[in-house]
Amino acid sequence: MNLDFTPEQMQFRERVRDWLESNKPTRPRPADGAEGREFDLAWQKTLYAGGWAGINWPTDYGGQGFDTFQQLIFLMEYAKSRAPGDWYRFNGLNLAGPTIIACGDEEQKSTHLPPILKGEVIWCQGFSEPSAGSDLASLKTRAVIDGDDMVVTGSKIWTSWARFADWQQLLVRTDPDAPKHAGISWVINRMDNPGMEIRPIKDMAGGSDLHEVFYDEVRIPLKNIVGGINNGWRVSMAQLSFERGTAFMPSQIETQKTIEDLIELARNTALEDGRFAIDDDHIAYELAKLRAETRSLLAMTLMGISRNERTGIPGPEGSMLKLFQSELYKRITALALEIVGPDRASLSSPTGRWPQAFLGSFANTLGGGTSEVMRNIIGERYLGLPK
Amino acid sequence: MDLLPTEEQQQIIDTAASFLANEFPVKQLLSLTRGEPRITRNHLKQIADLGWIGIGLPGDFDDVGYGLPEEALLFVELGRNLMPPSLLGSVLGARIAAISGGSEQLRSILEGTTKVAVATARATCSVQIGDSVDGEFLVFEAEDADFVLISDEHAAALLPLTAMQCTSTDNCIDDTLGLSCWLASASPARCFVPAGKDRIFLRGALLVSAMLLGMAEATLDRSVGYAKEREQFGKPIGSFQAIKHYCAEMAIRCESVRALLHHASITVQTQSDAGLFDTYSLKALAIKAAQSNANAAVQIHGGMGYTQEMDIHLFVKRAQVLGTLFGNERFHLKKLLSERAPD
Repeated sequence: MNLDFTPEQMQFRERVRDWLESNKPTRPRPADGAEGREFDLAWQKTLYAGGWAGINWPTDYGGQGFDTFQQLIFLMEYAKSRAPGDWYRFNGLNLAGPTIIACGDEEQKSTHLPPILKGEVIWCQGFSEPSAGSDLASLKTRAVIDGDDMVVTGSKIWTSWARFADWQQLLVRTDPDAPKHAGISWVINRMDNPGMEIRPIKDMAGGSDLHEVFYDEVRIPLKNIVGGINNGWRVSMAQLSFERGTAFMPSQIETQKTIEDLIELARNTALEDGRFAIDDDHIAYELAKLRAETRSLLAMTLMGISRNERTGIPGPEGSMLKLFQSELYKRITALALEIVGPDRASLSSPTGRWPQAFLGSFANTLGGGTSEVMRNIIGERYLGLPK
Repeated sequence: MDLLPTEEQQQIIDTAASFLANEFPVKQLLSLTRGEPRITRNHLKQIADLGWIGIGLPGDFDDVGYGLPEEALLFVELGRNLMPPSLLGSVLGARIAAISGGSEQLRSILEGTTKVAVATARATCSVQIGDSVDGEFLVFEAEDADFVLISDEHAAALLPLTAMQCTSTDNCIDDTLGLSCWLASASPARCFVPAGKDRIFLRGALLVSAMLLGMAEATLDRSVGYAKEREQFGKPIGSFQAIKHYCAEMAIRCESVRALLHHASITVQTQSDAGLFDTYSLKALAIKAAQSNANAAVQIHGGMGYTQEMDIHLFVKRAQVLGTLFGNERFHLKKLLSERAPD
């Protein structure tokens, strides 16, 4: 057991730090969707030009082919530098791209991979449906083969950034008679395809990044199926093979910043009785507990990476970290409201970020698998409990 | 960077695990009568012969080259088997003797001929630890002890039991451990180490955390095993989400404490700035993990979990005892909040 980095890794850290310092955007990311899209694409172009695009993609496909520790160091420095988050770039770089690398044919690779790295396109995801949420494999959006095309009818929901995306990774049912996991295909769909309708959904935190997408006899060429027809369930798991456990580093660092900001706020915020919030026993106890758990989140992330490095297989830490971090973040933002006091009612006061974060935190224990699904996965796949 | 045990460290774990499973299975405790020590003088000698007591001593006293990480991994296994806290007394006592130049005490503790009990100060008394010691202490396993280890964040001392006065003999919540109350008034310490020289108390907190982790893992394993076998409504109870999700939460508590233990054992060993921050975090979470997991295990085992026919209750009780040693949850959380966050 050690926490040491090699001299080469330390040098690499310096290189990342220096480059980010002189190249990261100076203005904040715009809140507006269309402007956000332009901002994200421009930043991806800068990353590409600097030789930092696709840190976990193999060099054969234009990526950087960094080893686990280089990825870890890059992500740590990236988060510390407060460079812009992945935002609209997330799907292409972390989900669709890796899936096409793992399962796509040569034409799919040469058509779709370079534009993702170069910052020319935005991808989104069409997986969940109104009646297929946690039970994703029960999805019903139907694809009927007609000549060289499939004709898709149905609807998808929770598609982030759909109206600003160029491409979509879409799961459709190509065989309604097969067992539910066996009749699904993973296809590449253009977002300007005729027959599609996109409806933004306003979320409880005031954003409208989520969408419902409707498909009315939308034609998609069969050559856009990735990894073979009716093989979509397996294909959708392929991006996991890119996972080295480093993916949680940014959210770990983000959580650490959040709890430290909150402790600072508690040192400077007076309660109704005139004492500072940090001098209140209950608040101090809860803050310290959250700080301890945030510290263990760092250690868990590092242990997950170590395990991955030994075995080459993603272990239980993915589901554990997801569950642990999202529940922790929710409790941090809930405690923040106690510290902020009556000002919690104001989204525009100087402490408005905290009620805003509280509202947004509900998404964390729902999106990307609910906490309940995570507990099922830990129980069944890690502990071996029966279904 | 690697937060998992090396092959050599894994060997220490495996050797300890199989020795303890053979020689000191937890079920032995079920047939122990109150007041009968689990670890006799002969047992202590047998354990000392394995070299465990001096495993983490500084290089001048021991040339194996092991340190706190190895010591911590060993204590996880001791905790898993509910080995008594006096082993902590021996290990830390040897360290106090070594650092303060008590060569005679060091030799006899390492040989297993001297037994060191651990103590915790009563909440209401004021404690002074130095060349001499003042205070009122709850001492575990005082029955056949030679010394008592007394420590707080400022200092640690080895006090001959004969230099203290017994004020009462109590019934311990964990009846596999003797408990008695002892008074020290200007009682001369045999050996004494100020925290400026070595943080014995912090090391104790880390090693108790390791024992608590072993217990948290043991109750998780027992619960998962039981949930797979026990059937109700025609199915294993582990297939019900209510039970499955208890187990998942228990597993996360284990994972988070395990990771933090490994991390802290390195930062303390290398005297990194993060050592204190990590240990305060660790102790608070380890207490919670051991107690919550043991409590959940009773619920998962149902009525049988409430009986003394199974061993689950022993973990509930021991987790309460260990929670009081080397600073309780509130102490460590208070200290943690006053620390500066490491970079």
